Amino acid sequence: MDKQVTLTIDGKLISVPEGTFVADAARMADIDIPVFCHHPKLEPVGMCRMCLVEIGRPIRDRATGQFVLENGQPKIQFLPKLETACTNRVEDGMVVHTQSESAKAGQKSTIEFLLTSHPLDCPVCDKGGECPLQNLTMAHGAGKSRFLYDEKLHLEKRKPLGELIYLDQERCIQCGRCVRFQDEIAGDPVIGFDERGRSMQIMTSSEPGFDSVFSGNTTDICPVGALTTADFRFGARPWELEEFPSICSQCPVGCNITINTRREAAADGSMVIKRIMPRQNETVNEIWICDKGRFAYHYTESKGRLTRPAIRKDGKLSRASWDSAIKLAAENFAEAGKNFVVLASGRLANEDLFNLKSLADHLKGDAVLYSEIGGGELTSAIGISPDTNLGEVGPGTTLVVIASDLYQEAPIWYLRLKQAVRRGATLIVANPRQTRLDDHASYVIRYAYGDEVKTVHSLDKKNKIGEAFTRSENVIIFYGSEGLGVEGSAALASACAKLLNEYGFAGKPNNGLVGVWQRANDQGAWEMGYRVEADLPRFLRGKVVYLVGVDPAGDDPRLAKALENAKFLAVQDILESATSELADVILPAQAHTEREGTFTSGERRVQRYYPALPVLGETRPDFAITAQIARQAGFIQEGTSVSAAFDILSETIPSYAELSYSKLAEVQPQWPVVGRGDLYYGGTTYENKHGLGAHLTTTASRGENVHILRVHRESAPRPQENELLAVPVTRLYDRGTTVLPAKVLKNRIGKATISMHPDIAERLNVKNGGLVKISFDGHSGEALVQIDKTIPAGVVTVPRSMGLAIHEPVPAKVK
Amino acid sequence: MSLLQKYPAEVKQILSKYPADHKQSAVMPLLYLAQRENGYITGSAMQDIAETLDMTQTEVAAVVGFYTLYLDKKEGKYRMQVCTDLPCALRGADKFLQDLCGNLGIKVGETTSDGLVTIEAVMCLAACDKAPMFQIQSRDGLEYHEDMTVDKTMELVAALAKSGREVA
Ligand code: SF4
Ligand code: SF4
Ligand code: FES
Ligand code: FES
Repeated sequence: MDKQVTLTIDGKLISVPEGTFVADAARMADIDIPVFCHHPKLEPVGMCRMCLVEIGRPIRDRATGQFVLENGQPKIQFLPKLETACTNRVEDGMVVHTQSESAKAGQKSTIEFLLTSHPLDCPVCDKGGECPLQNLTMAHGAGKSRFLYDEKLHLEKRKPLGELIYLDQERCIQCGRCVRFQDEIAGDPVIGFDERGRSMQIMTSSEPGFDSVFSGNTTDICPVGALTTADFRFGARPWELEEFPSICSQCPVGCNITINTRREAAADGSMVIKRIMPRQNETVNEIWICDKGRFAYHYTESKGRLTRPAIRKDGKLSRASWDSAIKLAAENFAEAGKNFVVLASGRLANEDLFNLKSLADHLKGDAVLYSEIGGGELTSAIGISPDTNLGEVGPGTTLVVIASDLYQEAPIWYLRLKQAVRRGATLIVANPRQTRLDDHASYVIRYAYGDEVKTVHSLDKKNKIGEAFTRSENVIIFYGSEGLGVEGSAALASACAKLLNEYGFAGKPNNGLVGVWQRANDQGAWEMGYRVEADLPRFLRGKVVYLVGVDPAGDDPRLAKALENAKFLAVQDILESATSELADVILPAQAHTEREGTFTSGERRVQRYYPALPVLGETRPDFAITAQIARQAGFIQEGTSVSAAFDILSETIPSYAELSYSKLAEVQPQWPVVGRGDLYYGGTTYENKHGLGAHLTTTASRGENVHILRVHRESAPRPQENELLAVPVTRLYDRGTTVLPAKVLKNRIGKATISMHPDIAERLNVKNGGLVKISFDGHSGEALVQIDKTIPAGVVTVPRSMGLAIHEPVPAKVK
Repeated sequence: MSLLQKYPAEVKQILSKYPADHKQSAVMPLLYLAQRENGYITGSAMQDIAETLDMTQTEVAAVVGFYTLYLDKKEGKYRMQVCTDLPCALRGADKFLQDLCGNLGIKVGETTSDGLVTIEAVMCLAACDKAPMFQIQSRDGLEYHEDMTVDKTMELVAALAKSGREVA
């Protein structure tokens, strides 16, 4: 434990860790010191002067270093002026007055100064109702101003800093929190201050403006309504909103979120989501979320929602009752025997995946996870185990990221790793091209696409990197699918797992293998024993397929063809898709915002989400639909209570043993304190009152034997003379069905863009931003070209889920 | 042409003064170099500097914005920067500035129609006891003018117009 320091604030004796700032120490003791520029996650700057207090320090005898006593008590000396609580660190014996007459006068004057040029347009301000400036003015302000109202500055009230964030220059109080967040936390210093003094204003000179995947967080910590999101601007008043705890479903990080809803006339009086806000979980996302998590929620309100069961009759899908739809599905599934396949998405809940898997097992069929990353069973064997906290790792821990661009694939992990380096952890980033995380890495390894396994084999060789790896107390490896398909990533996972196992970096906290999955709950599917299939088109032909939450036909024409040639298709989903058009029976499901369930994050933390919106039409939760089909097929599953379904799951799957809904709902005090009445301190992030979740155990942490098969992989295909090697890469904003309906992200999603080295571009005679035709594997499409000198020669990177059906490295022609 | 291409030796010499992992520190001298080039700092010069120093263009622009001696747009040949900070204000700087503008027929921040003089109000220039005061910034460098009156200033402006050069 850190060394403790004891001091007195307003007569209250408190002990806090050495190095704490007075403002934070007061917060720990439930004493309010008003702040604007100070934020517990940011370095102090002392810019706003709101936190003025009287600070007294004990006088020490110069010779002995002992306190000088007066009447048996240490003699305290106060400076003749007020000091800022946010920049002064605690000292033993310190005495702080936050409520004395002079301290209060100082705070009052600061508010008066701030209001000399504040528009006070609270009635139309998005922050009104949850505004630190409003609250602190009520609590500490003077009520009247000695300054001239006419001398207020009149500035721009609607200045787009980028297409997602708007600035109201009049409301800004120049606290610098947004600028410091982008610099210190996001590592994306694309907003700054122009001018100074009374002319100081937030600006961006970057191209294309305030373009950072963390930009929305600045609106949460901005203490006034100066920064608003394009999505929520003038959307609702905070007091009209209802709040529901949930988990982001967009990536494997599993950020804790709060969904704010409101009944809305524009939606015929029904409840709609108004905004997504971060919810504190210091072991997962702290108090941040990325912009995809914040803005991509619109798909649940998309027009194309499936709301009623349907059955194909005479070649046409027509409305049917739930009973007949379930009966038809069950009959076909039962008949198929080993020709029965569940093809499930990693965006389903654990309870859904569990019921689906046990149905497949019962019918002797197969359960396949729809994913392009293999090797996940190894994360269940030697993944990270209980008591791991990326928010605390520091010196002694080495973090390795291989074949993944975390900034694009799991933004909050990028943040967490970057902060871990600041605390003293070692970071090794291995990728064939430059990624954002390189800037923060202790060591960067560049390898050729195809050399992933070789690269892992050399991680413990005798050089600086090898030393950083082998001498480390803890090692966590994040592996991804950059440039890899199912087989390639499985081979990579196996190589990583072997290495971790060999050096004992497994089965204990802060050690193990993490997969950078494509969806929020792929981890859950791996834990439950799903597998992935490298050649899906061939595999699906002639099968009876139960497609849940997936749209293979929309993703790839080859898969569409395979599904056309399947024997029977039951499609269970929330949205209409190319796949649902091929269905023999449609089973409409509830979106995760409309029901209860759990996800298992890539860090193997199980977390609960709660219903935020009423049920739509006749939709049912996935686990219940599956249970009804199972019952029809003569097999009893839990289909009513989701927590009971979870109980059965935890009795069956060893890594979930002893977890329950009530355990997942447990909370512990977290630092910093956020939410509650004092939004001025941490921002508008919600407090976590509904559960921090719990970690799964691993085979290794349970002390069982771990077997790691060596996976051989065919060497990457060799492109011909006039071809390039096309490799898949993952982008944050893609054309996935859960992203595309968000109109506010339209420009961020953009067109499919392929990247290549300038020499190749020159040879092909294309310019940056030029349009080309790319063809591979009998498939072709158009794409924009981005020239990037860090892309290896002979390679073109192709984004997944952007209309080009790439699953693994393939030779391609570009024209 | 970028600064780096035009003045490779000078840029190299500036960079050599700072440790490689703190090369951002070279932002000030590089901005001076850029300003010397055109009389003000162009957007593309900021972009050059940002790239050279691994900074974002916003960070460079923020430095330009912070310092009154850096200029990011074309202005008059002579920038007359009048201090209006508190001590100067107590010695009549505000009135001086207002009258001066009246005489020149322009507002603070504007340039005379012949492109000769731009008037600006700035923070303390460390000559508080000699207010009203201003500095003139031009290609010839920096010059202080202290204990000024509007008449004396108008004479100075006339002389500048005539000589095309700054006079004491
Ligand atoms: S925009 Fe908000 S966070 Fe940024 S400086 Fe202004 S008041 Fe502070
Ligand atoms: S990092 Fe992932 S889980 Fe977190 S908000 Fe973004 S998309 Fe959602
Ligand atoms: S100066 Fe302390 S909070 Fe701003
Ligand atoms: S206040 Fe004007 S020079 Fe100091």
